[in-house]
Amino acid sequence: MSIPESHLAQEAIAALVDGELSGGAANRAARHLTGCTQCRLAVQAQREAKAALQRDADVAVPGDLLSRLNAIPFTADVPSGGGLGGLSAGGGGLTAGSWAIPLAPPEPPARPGQARWLRRGMTGALAGLGLGVAVLAVGLPAAERTEDVPPPGSVAGAVRDTLPTERTDVVPPVVRTITAANTLPAGGPN
Amino acid sequence: MPEAAPVLPADAADGWVAPTWDQVVREHSARVYRLAYRLSGNQQDAEDLTQETFVRVFRSLADFSPGTFEGWLHRITTNLFLDMVRRRQRIRFDALPEDTERLPGSAPSPEQVYADTHLDPQVQAALDALSPEFRVAVVLCDIEGLTYEEIAATLGIKLGTVRSRIHRGRVQLREALAHLAPRRPAAAEQEVS
Repeated sequence: MSIPESHLAQEAIAALVDGELSGGAANRAARHLTGCTQCRLAVQAQREAKAALQRDADVAVPGDLLSRLNAIPFTADVPSGGGLGGLSAGGGGLTAGSWAIPLAPPEPPARPGQARWLRRGMTGALAGLGLGVAVLAVGLPAAERTEDVPPPGSVAGAVRDTLPTERTDVVPPVVRTITAANTLPAGGPN
Repeated sequence: MPEAAPVLPADAADGWVAPTWDQVVREHSARVYRLAYRLSGNQQDAEDLTQETFVRVFRSLADFSPGTFEGWLHRITTNLFLDMVRRRQRIRFDALPEDTERLPGSAPSPEQVYADTHLDPQVQAALDALSPEFRVAVVLCDIEGLTYEEIAATLGIKLGTVRSRIHRGRVQLREALAHLAPRRPAAAEQEVS
């Protein structure tokens, strides 16, 4: 409050040290400094503090932190990270997919028709899977591990890729016939 | 799993290749960790802040707009740090008057600081003595090399506030350095007794 107007403002002193003053202001500040010891000292103090921080060397990231960071795709729970998020713990491909895609700046042309087809196919496949499992649970309690989807082309392949590889590819005819028989009484359109 | 497989989008053939998570970590972890260490002043908090920053990055990669990755990391790290400080202030200092801005962290030994960070332990101690708001501004300016405008954007404050915090932060930093220098060996003992 007692600083005379003839001195540089404190903010200007910091800005001068950081080269953040515009040309005109920087020239005025420089002219003032030639005749003002007090402001020169203030500038000097700012420079010293800055220099102390700039004697900074690189920091090595602790190794175990690094491995924890690398493991984030497999350990972090991602809220609403996609419908199949629950599977992320198991499948490397699936988790990797959820971050590899979003980094792409221009979303590559998505060929909408195909995407819709794929989505429908996925829904169908998943519904089929759910139905198959339900039927299995109700009707065939003693059956061996036989649940599977009737493979609708490549979509089923894609789904299967995201799942752990240990599941069997055997499609037992029993399940399919029972599925069909079960849908009819339910009064579906077909 | 030792290494995340470089899974690329099907049509990466046009030159642009999505970085793998490993690459993201390799490229940015040192900067984030250093910033976190300069701000928090100790390894434990720095590790926690770094971990949390990358978890946030991972979760919101979908919202990432290109060209701002460094700025984004700065913003996340500093905000997490300020949140952490405020949380602790609420717990420890809610009865203290307004001008009490110092936040005594769990102070590691000077040797430990140097071994961890290669920053002069006195400088780190002087940084730790700054109020968190001043510390963030000074660190972003003098260590991270951000412009005033970038700092204003990172912290969501006005340019004038940036200038004033940097100026006052440096004044305090220099006083703290002068204060620390003469009795460097005794500092640790004094803390204990």
